Amino acid sequence: MSAINVAPITATDSLSQALKANIIPNQEYLLQGSVLDSAVEVLLHRLRGLCDNVDAGPETFDDQEVCFSLRDPNQQAAPLMLRVRKALDARDMPYQLRYIGQPDLGDKNRPTVVRSSLDIACSGMLIEFLNELGCRIEFEYSVKGYMFRKGRMKITVAKVFKISQSSMPPEPISQSYLVELSVLAPQGQDAIGEDMRAFADQLRPLVQLDKIDYKRLGHMAVT
Amino acid sequence: MQREEKQLEATLHAILNRVNDLKTAIQALITKLETEYETINWPSFLDNYAILSGHLTGLSKILQAELAPSLRSVVVLPLQLGCERDEELSRLTEGRVPACTHDLVPDLLRTKLEPQAEQRLQQLIHKASTLNYDTAQKQVAQFTKVISHVWEIISKGREDWEGESMRSAGMQPTHSIADTHALVTAVGTGKGLRPGMPPCVPSGVVPPGIGPSRGPTPQMGTAAPNMPKAPSAIKTNIKAANQIHPYQR
Repeated sequence: MSAINVAPITATDSLSQALKANIIPNQEYLLQGSVLDSAVEVLLHRLRGLCDNVDAGPETFDDQEVCFSLRDPNQQAAPLMLRVRKALDARDMPYQLRYIGQPDLGDKNRPTVVRSSLDIACSGMLIEFLNELGCRIEFEYSVKGYMFRKGRMKITVAKVFKISQSSMPPEPISQSYLVELSVLAPQGQDAIGEDMRAFADQLRPLVQLDKIDYKRLGHMAVT
Repeated sequence: MQREEKQLEATLHAILNRVNDLKTAIQALITKLETEYETINWPSFLDNYAILSGHLTGLSKILQAELAPSLRSVVVLPLQLGCERDEELSRLTEGRVPACTHDLVPDLLRTKLEPQAEQRLQQLIHKASTLNYDTAQKQVAQFTKVISHVWEIISKGREDWEGESMRSAGMQPTHSIADTHALVTAVGTGKGLRPGMPPCVPSGVVPPGIGPSRGPTPQMGTAAPNMPKAPSAIKTNIKAANQIHPYQR
């Protein structure tokens, strides 16, 4: 009888509850590195040994990522960047819309890059929707490689390809594979950074996983 | 009184143990020298010396402990010297000291240095006290120079040896920092991925972002170390990153 008088739990209620309890994984802890094509087999073997066991061998993925930017024509502020990722090898999977924030550069002693990251699964209408909102395509690329897990940590070893306009096959932009070690966690769980650093040390000297500030690198290379 | 006696006894016991260890080590060294003098090599000889020095350190540690003052007040006096063979003494000393004669006792119960050593020490102390400050400084500087020279020779030698062993193992760098930077900037900011840009070429060159490079048609990303058609106005600063050795020990 009392169930009739109880109001249904709304989405905003559960969202605010989750926010209060700090369980929403909205921070990404990240370490990046690369490995030459000649050494990638060795790295895959080592990761297969170190990471959680998967029966069918390392999981492969083939994704295409498009980066949109939403500029405010009045303000000169930095545009909002949104990334859309779709799986080329599994067409039924939803599109992933991702917002990545600025990395938190304050603390030099932090072992990893920490940036806010929000992921949402969407349908295929996403691209149209973003175009309607006024977002423009900045750049796009495809990544193809392997994914490993160790506990909460995700390790990807992937080759980045530039998508050419004509029907030519995508060409790699480098002779190396990009290696990324990331964890999605709620705010405040900085201890995971130490675990990530310890794991990264196990991959040395094959790969040097480090905090890399690409914004600074981007500014350096352009005169 | 009794406590002090007990302490003394315990200290003596400990000293005796250490001295016995030292004796065994010296004996072993002498045996080694006598039997293996043709096949012995410097490192194993030094190992024996290290054992000896370890024992000596242990002994000096005991002597430096708080019980040493009580030992200072204790004196060993020979009460009787004799020329005839003493069975008890020779048994205690494993046949080395057959009799408490007057020529062995000064050496065995010595507390000051030998007369020759004492004279040499006096000479050196006198020389040091008459040295004036400037000459002393110069001598110290020369000494430091010689030592650092020797150090350089040794470290160069070591580098050569280790470099050779590393090269013979054939270890190649398995990751390139330039590539890391290129990939991360490409994924993060889209460098080299925008339409109309020449593709990124690895090992030291990051393609320019916007501007003067629009025009040349995209070239195939081969492993060419230079970008042949890039305008000279574009500087690449990633070369500095290449100087970081992949193995940072």
